[in-house]
Amino acid sequence: MKKASLFKTALFTLCSLLSLSTFAQKNWDYTKETPLADVRVRQALAYAIDMKTITETIFEGLASPALSMTNVGPWQSDKLVKYDYNPEKAKQLLAAANWPADYTLDVVTYYADQQTADFLTAVQSYLEMVGVTMKWRLLEGDLAAQLWVPPADREKGPSAVKWDLAYAAVAASAESEFYVRYGSTAPNNSHTPKDATMDKLLDGLNVTDVTAQMKALKAVQERLNQQEYSIPLYHQIAFIYVGNLLDAKGITHGNDQFSYEKKILDWNVNRTDKTLYTNMGPKEFFEAPITNPGLYPYQEQLFDKLISADSSLTPTTGMLAKTYTVSPDGMKFDFDLRTDVKWHDGKAFSADDVKFSIEFYARTNSFSAVTFKRIKGAQDFVDKKAADISGIVVKGSKVTITFDKIAPDASLVFSQWPMLPKHLLSDCDPLTPQTHAFWQKPIGTGPFKVSEFVRSNYAVLERNAAYYKKGTGNIQKIYMSSSGDNDPNLVINAEAGKIDYAWSKSTADAKAIGKLANFKITKAPIRYTRFFHINQFPHEPNIK
Amino acid sequence: MIAFVTRKIIHLIPMLLVISFLIFLGMDLMPGDAVDFMISPDDIATLSQADLAAIRSSFGLDKPFIVRYFIWLGNLLKGDFGYSIQSGVPVSTLMWSTLPATLELSVSALLFSTLLGSVLGMVSALYRNSIADHALSVAGMIGVAIPQFLFGLIAIIIFVFKLGWLPAGGRMTPGHEAFLMRLDHLILPTVVLGLALTAGVMRYARASMLDSLNKDFIKTARSKGIPEWRVNLLHGFRVACTPVAVLIGFRLPMLIGGAVVIEQIFQWPGLGVMFLAAVRTQNTPIVMMVGFFSVLLVLLASIVVDVVTAALDPRVKLQ
Repeated sequence: MKKASLFKTALFTLCSLLSLSTFAQKNWDYTKETPLADVRVRQALAYAIDMKTITETIFEGLASPALSMTNVGPWQSDKLVKYDYNPEKAKQLLAAANWPADYTLDVVTYYADQQTADFLTAVQSYLEMVGVTMKWRLLEGDLAAQLWVPPADREKGPSAVKWDLAYAAVAASAESEFYVRYGSTAPNNSHTPKDATMDKLLDGLNVTDVTAQMKALKAVQERLNQQEYSIPLYHQIAFIYVGNLLDAKGITHGNDQFSYEKKILDWNVNRTDKTLYTNMGPKEFFEAPITNPGLYPYQEQLFDKLISADSSLTPTTGMLAKTYTVSPDGMKFDFDLRTDVKWHDGKAFSADDVKFSIEFYARTNSFSAVTFKRIKGAQDFVDKKAADISGIVVKGSKVTITFDKIAPDASLVFSQWPMLPKHLLSDCDPLTPQTHAFWQKPIGTGPFKVSEFVRSNYAVLERNAAYYKKGTGNIQKIYMSSSGDNDPNLVINAEAGKIDYAWSKSTADAKAIGKLANFKITKAPIRYTRFFHINQFPHEPNIK
Repeated sequence: MIAFVTRKIIHLIPMLLVISFLIFLGMDLMPGDAVDFMISPDDIATLSQADLAAIRSSFGLDKPFIVRYFIWLGNLLKGDFGYSIQSGVPVSTLMWSTLPATLELSVSALLFSTLLGSVLGMVSALYRNSIADHALSVAGMIGVAIPQFLFGLIAIIIFVFKLGWLPAGGRMTPGHEAFLMRLDHLILPTVVLGLALTAGVMRYARASMLDSLNKDFIKTARSKGIPEWRVNLLHGFRVACTPVAVLIGFRLPMLIGGAVVIEQIFQWPGLGVMFLAAVRTQNTPIVMMVGFFSVLLVLLASIVVDVVTAALDPRVKLQ
């Protein structure tokens, strides 16, 4: 018995040594096979990075480690494997997957800030500790070509891009936006080979019932988590700063990257000029709501949407639509528009403006164009085979929109994309909308209108006296310093008393403003996740 | 003098052509193009290659480099400065909305530094090797050594946050557009930029003054019994001004696009910040015009300096 046991042990050791020597002798042909195609390697990389320590140190506790693209909450699955820091396990997985010790991971990013440099340097050290060498570099130039070109063969490759890991982020208005890129037909999937199971699960997202959507989304998360197609790193937080001169009437703050009902007309500001001071004003132009429909505070104040959303971006009641109904199958939306709405130039807002706006967005490069293209006849309109979108029918103040494919985020989209004036933008090229003179002094239907814009100095919005809601607050003007996104002077202006309301994702801003006694900071979880894409298609090593 | 100036201006033309070509070439050699900065990396992936090509074509970015250069040059000769690729606003409009801010800041900083630097330089030279001279020399060295952004931040902390005397930044606030009403916005950036420039002027003025005080014509003036202050000011300082004038003459055009750091810290909406943003986003029409304008100013300044030098120093003749 003892001898048999010894024999078994010896045999096992011999087999192990033989297999190890076989692995060690394996000659990788990287043009046909990449080590990253092995799920054990991807899991090992996840285990090797101590995100808890990184978020506590580099991000000073102002970001939270990510278990999934989806943030903690009702949409996150509770069946996800936690890849908590475990270097020993990472080493075991790498050994089992026969990780080639001479391979250098090529990690790319398009963020040029110091925090990214610190983060990637830390990751470099963590990976080094488990025997994985990596180098990172900043991409410049044609990022689309370098990052997102899918291979001709979506199953076997070879890869059309050169990197191994790409440090990126997604800011999603709907949870599904995090995941559609893992589909085998996604135009930006340069990294994940066709996975029939994933494709089927992604198809399951095309439902309008929220419970069914949630269930389908959790199944997608679980597949992604098991396969570790990407490594979720951390969720960013929106820091919302409210000065002590502002009474925002206790609103629930939310994801300020998008629009939600803030009831600003009810706010009071304790200043003699009744002016609310903020930042993110335009520099050269007001940004057209194409890439970002609500990132800049002025977009939300100048333009109205068909539907309102609450702070969690859940669509609520009508906005420009007095009422709206959705058919049980989610394929038809009926909007009954308000008839008391005027554009800031005095022209009446009409259902034609709604039709125009949706047709306009369908032809833009906005991330919601995909939703608008699901309206019946939209693709023909985009392809210039039809003069208009047949699925949008206008009758007086009523607009009926019929989809020919389920658009699960349609309500959300209607709550985010502003309605635009047909009479001022009918000659605007949807591919280069920003070059239209309209964006120097845009006209909307919102609660505030542009009063003054001194380029690169400031913009002043004034209360729209003709607005269909009156409100109980005293704010007559909004002063916005011209800072664009990522305001480098936010802290200085906050300290100088020139900020009443602002938000940013910068942990450095949050830390500095947190020291000011006259500001209250609210941390709002947002759908903004940073992660590593993993390129699983074979390609020549970029670093030799 | 007219012939001199005319000849110099004619010489400018080939220089401007070569330099503009080099700037255009430099922009073309940068990776990517303006479209890459107009659409975020994630969103750009949702566009088809045909859409991207259409966008590039609408801005003329699909044409070969040399064709684009000559189109730009042809338009320039017709007085068309082009349009910002990002906003479609004419470059001339953008320049005229930012140039006054830059000129305001540059000229005031230059005046401040010239007056202060010249006086301190003269004092330093007249009291050579005194405690005052040494103290000013040390102060000058510190002025040169300390980066402008540090000066700026210290000034903001003291005069904005601690004392609350001055605004934190910006050029104006609504309803206060008149120059005198927005003078408080100008003070800090002027002083910070001016102090950084003062050290150089002071050192030039001191060296030049010392040099002129040893000249024969000073001794002659003294031998005529002219009061010492007149000798120093009217004879010595006038000649000592020549190298200072050269320095100032070359500094103004450089300040037009070179006060970026101060403009950034004090949220001053000038040409420098616009230029920097344009380079970053490869907005070639703006880069070309601001670059062309700056080069033109430097070249014109060299002519002006020649003329001013001749006016200040009777020994210099324009040929």
